[in-house]
Amino acid sequence: MDAAARPAVVIDNGTGYSKLGFSGNSEPCFTIPTVVAVNESFLDQSEMCSSANWIAQYNAGVMADLDFFIGDEALSQFKSSGLYSLKHPIHHGQVDDWDTMERFWQQCIFNYLRCNPEEHYFLLTDSPVSTPESRECTGEIMFETFNVPGLYISVQSVLSLSAGYAFLKSISDEDSVSASDMTGVVVDIGDGAPHVVPVVNGYVIGSSIKSFPFSGSDITQFVLQLLQERGELIPPEDSLDIARKVKEMHCYTSSDIVKEFKKHDKKPDKYVKQWSAIKPKTGVPYTIDIGYERFLGPEIFFNPEIYSADFSTPLPELIDSCVQSAPIDTRRALYKNIVLSGGSTMFKDFHKRLQNDIKKIVDERVAATNARHHVEVKPVEVNVVAHPIQSYAVWFGGSVAASNPEFYESCHTKEEYEEHGASICRTSTVFKGMH
Amino acid sequence: MILLQSPSRFLLQILQDRVLSGDKGVDIDCHTVEFDDVRYHIQFSLRNPKVMVLSVALPLPPPEAVLYDGLPLGAIEAIKAAYGLVVQILDPPKDGFDLTMKINLTKLPPDEEQRNAVLTQIASVREVVLGAPLKLLLKHLASRTVAPNVDKLVALVHRPNESFFVAPQADKVTVVYPMRFQDSIDIVLATSFLQEFVEARRTAALNNAPSCMWSPAPPLELKGVPSDALNANAGFVTFVVFPRHVEGKKLDKTVWSLLTFHAYVSYHVKCSEGFMHTRMRRRVESLIQALDRAKSDAEKLKKLVHGGSFKRLALTL
Repeated sequence: MDAAARPAVVIDNGTGYSKLGFSGNSEPCFTIPTVVAVNESFLDQSEMCSSANWIAQYNAGVMADLDFFIGDEALSQFKSSGLYSLKHPIHHGQVDDWDTMERFWQQCIFNYLRCNPEEHYFLLTDSPVSTPESRECTGEIMFETFNVPGLYISVQSVLSLSAGYAFLKSISDEDSVSASDMTGVVVDIGDGAPHVVPVVNGYVIGSSIKSFPFSGSDITQFVLQLLQERGELIPPEDSLDIARKVKEMHCYTSSDIVKEFKKHDKKPDKYVKQWSAIKPKTGVPYTIDIGYERFLGPEIFFNPEIYSADFSTPLPELIDSCVQSAPIDTRRALYKNIVLSGGSTMFKDFHKRLQNDIKKIVDERVAATNARHHVEVKPVEVNVVAHPIQSYAVWFGGSVAASNPEFYESCHTKEEYEEHGASICRTSTVFKGMH
Repeated sequence: MILLQSPSRFLLQILQDRVLSGDKGVDIDCHTVEFDDVRYHIQFSLRNPKVMVLSVALPLPPPEAVLYDGLPLGAIEAIKAAYGLVVQILDPPKDGFDLTMKINLTKLPPDEEQRNAVLTQIASVREVVLGAPLKLLLKHLASRTVAPNVDKLVALVHRPNESFFVAPQADKVTVVYPMRFQDSIDIVLATSFLQEFVEARRTAALNNAPSCMWSPAPPLELKGVPSDALNANAGFVTFVVFPRHVEGKKLDKTVWSLLTFHAYVSYHVKCSEGFMHTRMRRRVESLIQALDRAKSDAEKLKKLVHGGSFKRLALTL
C-alpha cells in the first residue's frame, strides 16, 4: 500500500489552536492549543562541544531535547512545575519560531497522530498573507526532517470556502448551489489576526485582503477588563482562562446595544448569568456575575471604539470596502457568498447581525445610485453563510480537498524537492489559478 | 516523550469522551491510521450511543510469518483474556479489516480507576493483537520453559512485509531485528544511533537491561532464513531477554517495546535530525550577527524597516 492509497494527514496550524487529523474524516482527531512547554536548562550546555562536556551532558540527561510537551499537556505541565517555559510558535497566523514549530510537529505526528510521516501525504495550511519564505521553511522541515512523500501548502481562506460549499451541498436537496461557488469573501476570525479575504474562482485577490486588528484573544481580554472594572473577584492566576470560558459559554451577539442594555436592566434574572468555580490556590469556591459582558464582548467587531481608540472601522464596513476594492464584475458574486470561519465567529446570531449591517450599507449605496442617476438598479443580494463547523472549517476544507484523487497530483513531491530544492514550495498552486 | 506510548491516543480520547458524555451522543464514523499500516475504523451509531464498533486492520504480513485466520497466533485468546465481557468479537470482520469488535461501554466497572485501566487496555488493542505470539513466548520464558510446538526460530510480523525473528530457549529469548530504512540520510543516522545504543548499554546504570548487539551482517541465529528476509541496510540488532525482564508487570512493557522497535528508532532518528536543524539555525543566526556587525549604519536602517522574523531576508538585501 503506497502513500497515495492511505489517507493524507491534514494539519491546520492556527495561532491559538491546531487541528490535526486524517483526510476523509468529518472532524479533526485532535484540537490542541498551539503551545510548547520546553525545558530550557539544557540549552546552555549545547554551545560547548568538547568531548569532556559531552559526557557531562550525556549524564545530565542526554534526552533533554526531547523533554517537552505540547498542547493541553504543556499548559498543565507549565502550571504544575516551574521547570518549563511556554512558547507560542505562531503569532498572528505566521510562524515566528521554527525550532519550536518543528518540535510541535514532531510531537503531533509521533505522539498524537502516531503515524509514520514517510507513509502519508501531508496537507498543511498557511495564512493568506504569509511570505513565500515561510512556505519554503515549512517545506524544508517537512521534506528534510520528516521525509514526507508529498506536501501541499494551501491557503486557509480557500479551504474555508470549500468547507462552506461542501456543507451546503450536503444539506441542500436541489442543485441550488452552483458549480462555481469557489467565489466568496472569507471572514476568518480565529485567535490570531483576522482577515477578510475575497476569493474569485479559487484565486485569492491578494490586493484586496483586509485585516481586522481584534481577534478572539482581544475579546477575552475585553471581557476580563469589564469584569474586573465592575469589581468581580477573579483569582489572578486563572483570570484569562476564566474570561475565555465565560466568553465561549455565555457571550452572544445582540442586534442593538441600546435595546440590550434596557433588556438586561428590566429583567436581570433572565439575562445575568452566574459563574461558579473554585479558587485553585485556596480551594475556596466563589461565584461571579456575568451581565453586560455577554453582549459587549462580541460588540467589538461592530463598534471597535469601545475597546480601543486606535481603530474605528466596524467589521461590516471593512467587508464592504474589501468587496468594493475587488474587480467590479465579481462584486455581486462576492456579496452573495460571505463565508464565516474561525472560532470567534461562533457567537450566537453573529451571522445575522453581520448580514443586517452589510445589507444596510449596500442598500444605502444602491439607493444613492438610484437617486443620482434615476435608474432602478437590481438590489444586491447579501448572504452571510453560517454553518455548525465554523470553528474547524479550514480543517474540514482540507479534509475534503485531500480526499479528492487529484490532490495527490497537485502536491509537491519529495522527488521534486530533491531536484529543485525548497523553492518549489514558494508558489501555491492557488495563486497560479489552478483549482 | 522518549518511548512510544502503548494506548492509541485518539481511541482513548474517544472512549473517555463517550463514557463521560452520558446518554446523548452523535454519529461518529472515522478512520485513523497508525504507524506500520495499522488502520482503525471507529463507529458509533445514534441508536446505541454506548456501543462502539472498532475494526482493526493489521500490516501486510511477510511471507515467512504465519498468521491464523489473518490474525497472529493467540490473538483471539489474548483479546478475550484482556477485555472480558466488555468486548465481543464480530465474525467475519468488516470488509478490508482483520478484526472487528463490539465494545459495550455499559459493561465497564463502575470504579473510576478500574474503568480508566480497562479503557486504556482497549485503546492498546494493537499491543494485545500483534503482541499475542510474542507474549506467549515470553510468558514461557518467565516460567523458564519453552512453549510446546514452537520452532527454534519464529518469524513475527513487525512492519508491512517485514518481520523480526525470535529464538526462544528455556533460559533466554533472543530477538533479532533486520533494520531497513528508505532514505539514505536515515540509514546513516540509524546506523550511528544503533551503534551508540549498543555503547550506551554498557554504562553502569543499565546493567539490568537486556544485552544488546549490533552487526552489519546477519548473526548466526538467523542461519537458514531465506535471504530476501535478510536484506537490512542499517544492520541487525540483537536483544537477549532474560526471565527477570518479563516478570509480572514488566511483561506487557517488554512486549510493547520489542514490538515497536523500528518505530522507536525511526522516531529518534527524526528527532536527531530536528535537533541538528536547531543547531544549524542557531549557527546561521550567529554568523549573520557577525556579518551584521560589519554593515554600515545606513544599511542597518534599511533592515529595520523590513524588520520582522526573517533575518535571512535582511541578509539578501
